[in-house]
Amino acid sequence: MIIHSIFFYIFSVIAVFSAIMVTVSRNTVHSVFFLILDFITISCLFIMIGAEFIGMIMLIVYVGAVAVLFLFVVMMLNVSKQKNEWLGDEKNSNHIPIGLLISGVIFFELIIVVGGWKYKPELLKTFSSIGIDLSTTNTHEIGKVLYTDYIHLFQLSGMVLLVAMIGAIVLTFRQREGIKRQSYFKQISRERNEGVELADPKNNEGVKIDV
Amino acid sequence: MINLNFIYSEIFICLAIMILLIIGVFKKNSAYLIYNLTILSLFVCLALILNFPIDANVELFNNSYKIDYLSSFMKILLILSGIFVLLSSSKYIQIVKINKIEYPILVLSSITGMMVMISSNDLILFYIGLELQSLALYVLASFNRDNILSSESGLKYFVLSALSSGLLLYGCSLIYGFSSSTNFDLIAENVNKDSYGLTFGIIFIITGLAFKISAVPFHMWAPDVYEGSPTSVTIFFAILPKIAALTVFIRILYVPFFNIIDQWQIIIIFLSIASMLFGSIAAIGQKNLKRLIAYSSIGHMGYALAGISTGTNQGIQSSITYISIYLFMNLAFFACLFMLRRDEKYFENIEDLSGLSKNHPILSFSFLIVLFSLAGIPPLVGFFAKFYIFTAVIEQSMYSLAIIGLLSTVIAAFYYLRIIKVIYFDAEKEKFERNHNIGLKISLTISTIFILFYFIYPSPLIEIIEKINII
Repeated sequence: MIIHSIFFYIFSVIAVFSAIMVTVSRNTVHSVFFLILDFITISCLFIMIGAEFIGMIMLIVYVGAVAVLFLFVVMMLNVSKQKNEWLGDEKNSNHIPIGLLISGVIFFELIIVVGGWKYKPELLKTFSSIGIDLSTTNTHEIGKVLYTDYIHLFQLSGMVLLVAMIGAIVLTFRQREGIKRQSYFKQISRERNEGVELADPKNNEGVKIDV
Repeated sequence: MINLNFIYSEIFICLAIMILLIIGVFKKNSAYLIYNLTILSLFVCLALILNFPIDANVELFNNSYKIDYLSSFMKILLILSGIFVLLSSSKYIQIVKINKIEYPILVLSSITGMMVMISSNDLILFYIGLELQSLALYVLASFNRDNILSSESGLKYFVLSALSSGLLLYGCSLIYGFSSSTNFDLIAENVNKDSYGLTFGIIFIITGLAFKISAVPFHMWAPDVYEGSPTSVTIFFAILPKIAALTVFIRILYVPFFNIIDQWQIIIIFLSIASMLFGSIAAIGQKNLKRLIAYSSIGHMGYALAGISTGTNQGIQSSITYISIYLFMNLAFFACLFMLRRDEKYFENIEDLSGLSKNHPILSFSFLIVLFSLAGIPPLVGFFAKFYIFTAVIEQSMYSLAIIGLLSTVIAAFYYLRIIKVIYFDAEKEKFERNHNIGLKISLTISTIFILFYFIYPSPLIEIIEKINII
């Protein structure tokens, strides 16, 4: 148990540290790397509390897709000019107190909410009463209900992804003019007499070619 | 075995989206065909809803999807307005050159999301429906991507809406944590007055929903998005998402949280008062008609929220009546706006209307009726909408809300009447074109007749809405 708490504190410290570094680091690429570090440590924390499915999803989705996308975007931009200098910048520093105020308010709201939470000892009993089998894995349990009880949510998420795909195509696809496309059927079914014409040129006259 | 009969309309519309996409991919230049097929499939969808008894009360998918009187009525309203919107904007999208195959498909998928929202009896399902509709709306707002205003409005709507979705999800997670369920009926059993967490959850959810119907203080996106996006999308924004979000507002406040009404009632009253006052005052300085209608819709949402804040069945019914009437008034207003076309260009400033009555007497008469109705002048339908709201509010002895509402009506009347003055008494300008498509004419005629003659025979609408009983 003590090793568990040691690991918990190590991961938590790294998570909080990297979350702060995301905002204050000068180099934007470094910010993205700290973001990735943050995601990885948080997924470790998820695995430690037994939510291995969410932990792995976190790794695959956030680290594998979202953060890499961020990295690409940042690298596409001209990083040498766009330093992340909001902290020391004279012009922007008047935003900082407002941001701090809002985050402070939300922090205290969270304290109130969590303080109002009375820990329920009967919570563990409800686990067994609603039929959660603690011996199987999360992934197995999710798999059991995803295609049965929550089939409508699953299908609707598919619709959301479809709309996202259509939207991305609509907003970025441009039909460019004057591009010659291949038409395989036409190319393959071309025959000799369509493409070749035999001419009989006379001396010093050459051949007239229709273009 | 789940009785899928009752969601045939949703299943049909999802299938229609995919089939239309396939037609669009494989058939060249099929934008016009797909537009008409979309309207047809909306008609079929309407028939599928009307096919089943409207007063059925069915719960599907572990009680997370609810088909009851409220949801059926709102779906009919939604699909009707979808049909009218598509009918009236078909010419516009050709002239502005946004007639791609994806346009009607995105409209359909947004309507699907709204239907899910209307029927949802579960926080997760509600959220997925909301995302489905807003994702399609982001793209629609920036559909005219070569226009810088349209791109700006899409981006602005996307960023602010994502923020509000985050708040809403945070609220959902708090409610789940403190009531140990996402189902509305189960939450209602577990609600107790002492837990702060639930109150915070409700506040976050109300914030997210108020953003969707653009109630003050979450309105800042509305004027820019309304002005920037193409007019055919603006009319969509002004009508359909509000129907869906208002239904969710009613269901989420009255089903799970009716026992703690004293905790959310004051928030709704504040939203209502702020929206009514802001909507009427901020619209005074506007020169663009689309911007003006954005502020006007903020104000109208304030009145609809006033009905919800009463906590009675009568209040809900008056809100639903208000939104049904608001729909027709906005439809007529935008139909008039679509008729202001000259040399393949659309005009949308108030000064373009100058002296309209000399050249286009019928169009100016429609404008007159719509604007009088929006201002709430009897005997037009807008008066009755406000009348029902104020009756419901006064019966609960919420006099200050009623007085502020009446005052803001008076202020709002100023800017509506100013447009009428410009139309009828200012110097005339060049003529607009007269060859409008038949769908636009039909929707303008129907909505104007409804506005003008509602007072003769108001009982059908009232009788239908009186059956809505959610408490």
